[in-house]
Amino acid sequence: MKDKKILIVDDEPDIRVMIERFLRKEGFFRIYTAGDCSSALAAIGASKPDIAILDVMLPDGDGFSLLSSIRTMSTLPVLFLSARGEDEDRLLGLGLGADDYIVKPFLPRELLLRLTAILKRVYASPVNNRLTSFRLGDSVIDLDSAVVRWDQAELPLTAKEHAILTKLYENRDRIVTTDALCQAAWGDDSYGYENSLMVHIRRIREKVEQDPSGPIHLLTVRGLGYKLVTKENP
Amino acid sequence: MRSVIAILRRFVASTLLVSIGLLIFNFILLGTLVFKEMNQSQSPEGVLKKVASKLDKTGSGYVLEESGSNLLRENDAWAMLLDGNGDVIWDSGLPGEIPRSYSLTDIAKLSRYYLLDYPVYTWEKDEGLLVMGYPKWSYGKYQFQFLYDWGRSLPLRLTVLLLLNVAVALLISIVIGMRMMRGIRPLVEGVHGLARDEEVKLDTAKGLFGDLAGSINSASSMLQSRTAALKMRDEARSNWIAGISHDIRTPLSMVLGYSSELEENASLPEEQREQAAIIRRQGEKLRSLISDLNLVSMLEYEMQPLHLKPLRLAALSRQAVAELLNNRLAERYQIDLELKEVAVQINGDEKLLSRAIGNLLQNSVRHNPDGCRIAVETFLSEDRSRYAVRIRDNGKGIPEEQLADVTELPYSSKRKKPASNGHGLGLPMVSKIAQVHHGQLLLERSAAEGGLSATLLFPVFDQQSNNKTGSERADRPVF
Repeated sequence: MKDKKILIVDDEPDIRVMIERFLRKEGFFRIYTAGDCSSALAAIGASKPDIAILDVMLPDGDGFSLLSSIRTMSTLPVLFLSARGEDEDRLLGLGLGADDYIVKPFLPRELLLRLTAILKRVYASPVNNRLTSFRLGDSVIDLDSAVVRWDQAELPLTAKEHAILTKLYENRDRIVTTDALCQAAWGDDSYGYENSLMVHIRRIREKVEQDPSGPIHLLTVRGLGYKLVTKENP
Repeated sequence: MRSVIAILRRFVASTLLVSIGLLIFNFILLGTLVFKEMNQSQSPEGVLKKVASKLDKTGSGYVLEESGSNLLRENDAWAMLLDGNGDVIWDSGLPGEIPRSYSLTDIAKLSRYYLLDYPVYTWEKDEGLLVMGYPKWSYGKYQFQFLYDWGRSLPLRLTVLLLLNVAVALLISIVIGMRMMRGIRPLVEGVHGLARDEEVKLDTAKGLFGDLAGSINSASSMLQSRTAALKMRDEARSNWIAGISHDIRTPLSMVLGYSSELEENASLPEEQREQAAIIRRQGEKLRSLISDLNLVSMLEYEMQPLHLKPLRLAALSRQAVAELLNNRLAERYQIDLELKEVAVQINGDEKLLSRAIGNLLQNSVRHNPDGCRIAVETFLSEDRSRYAVRIRDNGKGIPEEQLADVTELPYSSKRKKPASNGHGLGLPMVSKIAQVHHGQLLLERSAAEGGLSATLLFPVFDQQSNNKTGSERADRPVF
């Protein structure tokens, strides 16, 4: 992972230096920088980076058109790092096929997390990619094949249970509101499924909890929603 | 257009009234001024009749009584009595040129017209004919005769005449009125256009109202240029703020970046890492200030695009509370949730509303560092036309006299005191977000607990009027 080639395009040399420092400190060592669109395109042609961090405002054009030009020659993942925080810009960037959009000012940790998330998604080997399988107490939940594995048994998950559990896992150790869960399971305009949600939650508990009526992993947060606790010994 | 027709109708009506009034006035004048002369003194026939009655037959002839001759003298008239043969048998003051004997033809002539230019009147007296003459040119005598049918149909004809008069007056007034209206209509439309803040360009060259049209035109162009200038200034301000915040973002990235690097640098002494953490936290405050400032300025100058869609405030409130709890809210804060009529939808921008609710929650947390109870309620208003989110705490609250002040932008002319805590943009921003949703923010000091009670009210989304609302401002340009 750390040997991926990263291209940083930003017109501010200070920002380029700073990002490069962070990345080097985190162990990345093949880092290229460019200050404008033309040198960015040249760098992409010459060194074939694995991911690009693009600024939106560049001296010889904007990052959006740069992304369009990049797309004509490469499908490399792109992360926008922009001082323009307006929603329209964000949507435009993501609509053009960028993988993420970070608004300045940013914390280095945030940039690093998002960058590695993209790299994992795009370049991780298929085996590692199946990380949607996690331990919950004594059971292992495999979201890819939609089963809960116990020592002796393998319990299949229904589609709705799978959708709910996936949503909870994506936000593990955080409260997920009933509205968000309903939306995950039944799509938009899902109001009115609260009771069905409760039924599904009970069924999930029967599969993942040792004592379904005294849950320790899938907790109810009264009035708000549910929380999937994956950490041991909270 | 309606007003033009109303003006025309009134004009025609008043023209008709004026002409009818004039007609009546003329009749009165005719009676009092013109025909007054006719009956000024006694009529010749009356005088003659009196004279005839004063003429007495005596043995030797005729004698006029004293009063009779006085009457003749007063009228400056003469008289004579003819017998059956046409001879004068009595006379009084008879001018010398008047003949003393008349044939039948003479009698016929004089009874109708004049006798040697003297206007004369005749009266039957006993067997003869009394003739009275006035001085020359004192009276005019005309014959007046008509067919019997004509006389009988006279009232009808007079009525038709009157009606024709009315019709002609009406026609003329309508024609004149229409001509005038044609001149006025563009002016009226122009004034209405001014009221609607449209650009007005009237033809100033022709018509009575050329200079008026010119004035309207210049008023319009003045209004237009002022509106344009105002809009430009607002845009410039908003762009300026957007530009400044853009320019701050890059250096702030460096501040945040290096301070957090220092903070995590294990080789540094604890104290310096703590100082770096303070720099980082202040930088993050600055970051939220910039984004609030940007949003407030966009809302203030109506440049914030709204992505409206029907959504449930109850769900948003739940999400905001969950967000707060997920970010490790300290134990000293307790949140109670009470959501009613959760199915009710309002039409709103999800991001902005989440931000408003989140901001109110953050306010309660930030201003009560020693902890407090926060109650989040959503409910329908009593008349079921509005849906509300109320965030209530039992913390220190805001003094009564400052409640009205805190929703105004800091340093604006409406705000008397500068913000005492925080940057003071939070509540103005929430208030602005409520405004762009046609809602409102109510701040109260909660009576029971003393803390702050903030209520956001929004009109309930109506399924029927769904189609026309949509995102009316969503397609505005963004700068």
